[in-house]
Amino acid sequence: MPRSAFLDLARPSRRHWLGYLLLAPAVLLIALIIVYPLFVSVDLSFQNVNIARLDQPRRPFTTANYERLFASEDFWNACWVTFKLVTIVSFFCFLLGLGTALLVNNRFKGQALARLLVALPWAIPEVIAVVIFAWLFDSSFGLMNWLFIKLGLVDQTINWFSSPDAAFAVVCTVMVWKGYPFVSIMMLAGLQSIPEDFYNAAKVDGARAWQRLVHITIPSLMPVIGVTLVLVMLWVFRDFSIIYVLTGGGPLKATQSLSIMTYEQAFGFFKMGYASAIGVITLIVCVIASRLMIARAPDNI
Amino acid sequence: MAGIRIDSVTKSYGGLAVLKAFSLDIADGEFVVLVGPSGCGKSTMLKILAGLEEASSGKISIGDRDVTDLAPGDRDIAMVFQNYALYPHLTVARNMGFGLKMRGTDAGEIDRRVNEAAKILGIDHLLERRPRALSGGQRQRVALGRAIVREPQAFLMDEPLSNLDAKLRVHTRAEISALHKRLRVTTIYVTHDQTEAMTMADRIVIMKDGVIQQIAAPDVMFREPANLFVAGFIGSPGMNFLKAKAEAKGGGATAKLFGHDVTLPVANGGALAGKDIVVGLRPEHIAAGPGQVSFTVAPRLIESLGSEQYVYVDLPEEHRREASAGGDDETRRTSLIARLINPEPRPPEETLTLSFDPARLHVFDAASGEAIR
Repeated sequence: MPRSAFLDLARPSRRHWLGYLLLAPAVLLIALIIVYPLFVSVDLSFQNVNIARLDQPRRPFTTANYERLFASEDFWNACWVTFKLVTIVSFFCFLLGLGTALLVNNRFKGQALARLLVALPWAIPEVIAVVIFAWLFDSSFGLMNWLFIKLGLVDQTINWFSSPDAAFAVVCTVMVWKGYPFVSIMMLAGLQSIPEDFYNAAKVDGARAWQRLVHITIPSLMPVIGVTLVLVMLWVFRDFSIIYVLTGGGPLKATQSLSIMTYEQAFGFFKMGYASAIGVITLIVCVIASRLMIARAPDNI
Repeated sequence: MAGIRIDSVTKSYGGLAVLKAFSLDIADGEFVVLVGPSGCGKSTMLKILAGLEEASSGKISIGDRDVTDLAPGDRDIAMVFQNYALYPHLTVARNMGFGLKMRGTDAGEIDRRVNEAAKILGIDHLLERRPRALSGGQRQRVALGRAIVREPQAFLMDEPLSNLDAKLRVHTRAEISALHKRLRVTTIYVTHDQTEAMTMADRIVIMKDGVIQQIAAPDVMFREPANLFVAGFIGSPGMNFLKAKAEAKGGGATAKLFGHDVTLPVANGGALAGKDIVVGLRPEHIAAGPGQVSFTVAPRLIESLGSEQYVYVDLPEEHRREASAGGDDETRRTSLIARLINPEPRPPEETLTLSFDPARLHVFDAASGEAIR
């Protein structure tokens, strides 16, 4: 029986229909759970709303939320905290991630186990990791205080969660611990795609181990580094649960990042319009930052 | 520049010996080709020479220096890799200058030497490009250039032509030979292609299963192969092998080939009497028409290349060798190939008279495979 020419999706001229058909469910889902809320929050940020309800009539258009935001000291503090977090955590994630990847990329006995251990923190749920670290850093019973005193680094216990600098350091530590395995896994994948002969050629050319790292390994990893950096930065930027469970943004707002501030305004003080404005700013900063990063990644591989 | 001395180098991985007592003296400026089927240990030998792998035992000297346990970068050699191993993130010029830069040569000197090498190879217009913007042949030249720039004691080349298409390969082959004549740097070249070995080498080292089979100049290797393996490997199409039994006659020896008693070109024929032998006959030494020893055949297949014809003939049962385990393919064992130069067109079904000169025969011991002269 001849198939209808119109419905035969295997025909070359109909093939793109099949593509659209297969894409449709994903596109619909994304539209429903990402694009629609996005528009709603942009809309909310221009209204004076306290508790948002979709069945309420629209409030009049206003830019009061943004004016308040830019005048607020808390907002600039949160920006600074977020910036510090992103810079410090990304830097140490890369240092640790690349280091461990280079280590487990070597052939040795127990390599599979070592790779597993390196990746382990990634598999642990954030909240559980935070609870573990909260105990480690506990001011009376914590392992860290005991260790620091034993090592002679301090002479009295540190109250980790009441000193702004110490609390910030603990948050950074947990985030690095949680985030470096991802970098490590990405770097390991990148390392394994570098042809062995690059290293052989460099060895014959007289390059020492450090020179091979700087001139061969790092440049060959650049595309992976670019993408990984963006993903890690975005993760730090919007991570909520680690800071919220560990410090709740305190003490004295020392760890209040933009995402914590958004949550506090929306569900602590029920100022959803104001919170939406913070969210929109966060979104814009993220988009610009990741565009810059991707554009900076060299296109030479 | 310097000679290279390899003194009974061995290499084994666990219990598997891939190189067995490899010894070779290479004169200053010589072009030596290591050739053999895959897995014969030729690439391993080159890697050991480069210092990329450790020899299990033995000693290597370049010039007067013992380099056996020296890092690759300290051996003053340059290597060309099969896939060229050009760094994709560097321009051609910086790829070529990489080795000098690693050694802390100053920038002006690097520039001068890179430009000089680029001129020799005709790639001076490509210096600012990146490798991915080059064709296969151009990349190959850059890889050669990277080796030349260093002005090393020796070049090591690991199948540098195998990624090129057939036409470019012939062209580049000639270029590498010309380059060697010009620079006169000791070169060790690894390939599995006997044509490359024949055309480029001053001396060929032919290997099988980690053992050197013969070391000789190309013409000597073609005319006087040391054993069955060398005889079959060198030359295209390969030598025909016929099983026979030697008989004493007068002072010499004969064998019955295609029904004729043929005198074998051996010095001490009497000693051969009654022995199982393999007689080798090169396809190009078979002529059409009657000659000293003639026989009539019905060709199974005739391939014409225009300037020459390959005539495939079924070997008579008594001349076929036993199928060796994992050895030559079945058609080579059961057929004889004649290579006729400037042939006249002939229909395939016609019977054909072929002939050969008994002086051209090669004789091998059937048991050991060694040549008997």
